[in-house]
Amino acid sequence: METKTNHLEDGGKDPHHDSKDRKRFFVVIFLLLCALTLTSFWIANSHLMETRAVGWTAMMAVAVAKALLVILFFMHLWWERRWKYVLTLPALVLGLVLVLLLVPDVGLRTDTWSNTRRNAAPMSIDTSSSASSDPQINFP
Amino acid sequence: MSGTTENQPHSALHGLEYHAGVPVPHGKLALWLFLSTEIMFFTALIGAYIVLRFGSPAGTWPSPHEVHVSEWLGAVNTFVLLCSSVTIVFAFENARQNAPRNAKKWLWATIALGCLFLGIKAGEYKSKFEHGIYPRAPRSLLYDRADLVYLDGVKAETRRLMEQGGRAKNASREDSTTGAGQGRLGLIQSGLIQWTERTVGRSNDPLMRARSIEALAWQIYPDSFGEIESARIEKFIQGETDWNRQQLIQLEWQLAECQSGLKEIQEQLEEKLQVLKSIDAGSKDKMIKAARKRAQTELSMVKKNASTATLRSTELTVERDFLAGRIEAVAELTPEQSPHGINHRWGLKLPMVIPGGNTWANTYFLLTGLHGVHVVIGIIAFLFLVPMTLKEERSALVENVGLYWHFVDVVWIFLFPLLYLF
Repeated sequence: METKTNHLEDGGKDPHHDSKDRKRFFVVIFLLLCALTLTSFWIANSHLMETRAVGWTAMMAVAVAKALLVILFFMHLWWERRWKYVLTLPALVLGLVLVLLLVPDVGLRTDTWSNTRRNAAPMSIDTSSSASSDPQINFP
Repeated sequence: MSGTTENQPHSALHGLEYHAGVPVPHGKLALWLFLSTEIMFFTALIGAYIVLRFGSPAGTWPSPHEVHVSEWLGAVNTFVLLCSSVTIVFAFENARQNAPRNAKKWLWATIALGCLFLGIKAGEYKSKFEHGIYPRAPRSLLYDRADLVYLDGVKAETRRLMEQGGRAKNASREDSTTGAGQGRLGLIQSGLIQWTERTVGRSNDPLMRARSIEALAWQIYPDSFGEIESARIEKFIQGETDWNRQQLIQLEWQLAECQSGLKEIQEQLEEKLQVLKSIDAGSKDKMIKAARKRAQTELSMVKKNASTATLRSTELTVERDFLAGRIEAVAELTPEQSPHGINHRWGLKLPMVIPGGNTWANTYFLLTGLHGVHVVIGIIAFLFLVPMTLKEERSALVENVGLYWHFVDVVWIFLFPLLYLF
């Protein structure tokens, strides 16, 4: 982490370190990435998944952290000048807007069910209610 | 040792330098522009996946094990790509240090890791294909719900497999599909499919019709059913089997009765024939003639009875065999003996009901496929670097290809939790 503070002190410009330091720094980032991969694997098999939304959010947060590590350090954006914002932010915003616009329209469409839709749905929608009120079938 | 901005041609003329809009080499600028379009491309794809995934009602998106997704293989592939990111960083660092031989070594390592990633991916695809999971028909064996279309699909597929087995037998050669499962196809066809068809066709109860097709789907592939549904279907099958057993006993009685009746009729028939024979055919006595006519009428009546009884006995035999076949099929093929269903136990590929399975397959193959295409292009780009001497002046090129490669890694970083862990 010492190397990172050095970069910070450089004011965001490419530092003139000796290469051993740089390589050690990249190995540290790599190890962090591996640890984060294990973290998301752990989350997937932990009690966090009991409330699925919590587990999903945690895993996405880990993924964002990993992506940031790769983009900032492996892709050198940390040391680039301000042009990086011009090229990356608009793309990111457009992409996110697309998703965020679709979520209420399509993504939440099954939160409430009309009777027509319930009848047309695949078999396993009302698992809890249908089990309790399982009607008796007479043979034949 | 030169910084990024000093890679420009006129970097020596500080102060008088011409500044383009963006102070980076053209190649890097172009590559970042390209990557910004790629960000939108993959955000749209991943966004579409997220919307479909979270828009699907509870229980209608397959869990990883239902569709043979191995979480640890995904984790290994993530690790492989992370390693390849580090190796290409080292290749760039070495090129920048003017150490072309070391740079080349790291480049080769990156290419090898990229190929390893593709190899693991190919293995994963193969495991899907082996279970009949394809992005679309006609190869895809996934059905979203247990309905008449599904029943029809199972019927057609079983018939196809039986014909295939017949051909293989005729050609007298061993085929991978003609294993233990081939011998069971007859039982599956009569005890499961024909039975379900008949139940669906005869019953007026919509619940009964729905349950019997559900039961068929459950017997073929129970992994996609929840605990509650499985218990419900097991109860249904248990009830049906109990009823079938009773029916079978009744049928046996009826059949025995019918056969003893048939025996009596046969005795009568012989008796009447004897009577008829004993009457002199040539006699012109009126009394004898009348007796003869009476005997003939009686004989024809007995004959009629005999044919009715034979028909009844045949009917009962067919019905008994059908019922016995159903009971045998349930006893032998039910998931108590094979907890993962008929497909798994007998190595068969019969159509499966996986709610949301087709949407899952579409998104899975689209996302991983397009990512795989990017990996292939990255490897090709690396191969173009192989004949070059990776000195300092080439380092910008290595960096650019590396940027692309890191981006592919970033995409996978998001795909891994979304496709494997959610």
